[in-house]
Amino acid sequence: MDDIGSKSLPLVALAGGAIGAVLSMEVRSSMARFGATSLLPSAVVYSLVQEMGPIITGLVVSGRVGAGIGAELASMKVTEQIDAMEVSAVNPYRLLASTRIAACILMLPLLTLAADASGLFTGWLAQTLTEPISLRQFIDAGFRGATLTEFLPPTFKTAVFGLIIGLVACYQGMRTRGGAAGVGRAATNSVVLASLFVILADVVLVKLILVVFP
Amino acid sequence: MATAYDPAMRQDESEQGDRVFVVAVEDVHKTFGAFKVLDGVSLSVRRGETLAVLGRSGTGKSVLLRLIVGLETPDSGSVRILGQEFNGLSLDRIGDIRKKMGFLFQHAALYDSLTVGQNVAFPLLHHRGDLSESERNERVNQLLIEVGLENSLDKMPSDISGGMQKRAGLARALALEPEILLLDEPTAGLDPISSREIDDLVLKLQREHQMASIVVTHDLYSAKTIANRLALLDKGKVLIEGNFEDLQQSDIAFVKEFLKLP
Repeated sequence: MDDIGSKSLPLVALAGGAIGAVLSMEVRSSMARFGATSLLPSAVVYSLVQEMGPIITGLVVSGRVGAGIGAELASMKVTEQIDAMEVSAVNPYRLLASTRIAACILMLPLLTLAADASGLFTGWLAQTLTEPISLRQFIDAGFRGATLTEFLPPTFKTAVFGLIIGLVACYQGMRTRGGAAGVGRAATNSVVLASLFVILADVVLVKLILVVFP
Repeated sequence: MATAYDPAMRQDESEQGDRVFVVAVEDVHKTFGAFKVLDGVSLSVRRGETLAVLGRSGTGKSVLLRLIVGLETPDSGSVRILGQEFNGLSLDRIGDIRKKMGFLFQHAALYDSLTVGQNVAFPLLHHRGDLSESERNERVNQLLIEVGLENSLDKMPSDISGGMQKRAGLARALALEPEILLLDEPTAGLDPISSREIDDLVLKLQREHQMASIVVTHDLYSAKTIANRLALLDKGKVLIEGNFEDLQQSDIAFVKEFLKLP
């Protein structure tokens, strides 16, 4: 959990922050055309919390944690450490895979909240540099009229991203063959496949959320 | 006197019952892709006996050990450990059998994120819940003293030599007091002095623990030193089985050539 959660926090917060600032700047120029700059906080908050925060967190964690888990387990596989575990009558899938998958599932929503918070802060910063507004006013305006069902499902859908990242990385790591080259392949495949499946799952989950919470 | 391998004779021996043999491999075949690694291998080991399996690289010696410990499954034939056949057993039952076996991997396969002491404690932690922490630590210390690594308890595997890693692997293999010890190339990659130290250690452990052992090696000196019986594998088959003198007296060309090698 420490490795997947707290060690991913700086990267996730940075990515969320960058997205928040960019969103604020880009949306502002579009809104200005329609004279709707007062809606900017809501646009930033909704975009960030409903979609950008979760997907950015999913992709960043796919890269960082997916590669880490894939390479670590692959290295254990090619050096026969996983075989040694089996020979010791310890189930390596239970000991190594299930713990990592559970940590991914638990940490993704928390990291998403961190990405959202960071993005909101930098979104406000970008806004206030052009048109001064207090952080509190920005947040009040952003969340005005919002309900929990609009924000909780998109945040908790990242638990599914966590499941995907954990499963893909553990599977790629534990089925590795072929020494150092195999370890490299496992790390690359973990990142590529986890990212791909996270993006595809996002499409399905967004649709599902729209159906269940219309 | 050794004879060329005779499957009929092996079958008769096997039928004496699994009370005699703690490991009984019967007519095992194993293929990887198009490559036939084992082609009807039959071997057996009695309690307290040490069998050395010799052969050139790639003749399936390590695969044979992996079959015995259940890391691979045979295409056909049977592997019986302490009277139980792996095939068809539940994972829990296989686990119960594995607790009675110790396995030293060719490269020791120590868990690289754990210290030497934690590596040795690993099987105890998972299977000896009845031991208190102090009893477990005492057992770990005792095992490390036994293999001469009492000063390496807190060292990481990457900080010790290859020979020391093998010793640590051996201590871990002995942690649950196994009835069967499987050693995959215990002296491979070691200098002659370290190799002899490992041989002496294995002999000492055999004397003290009375285990059945199977040693896969191509170190003839090591095989001669630690084994009661030797089996020479060639092209996936047991070419000859007997003690070292039996092999020396064999007329089989490959055996003569193998024994001539330094």
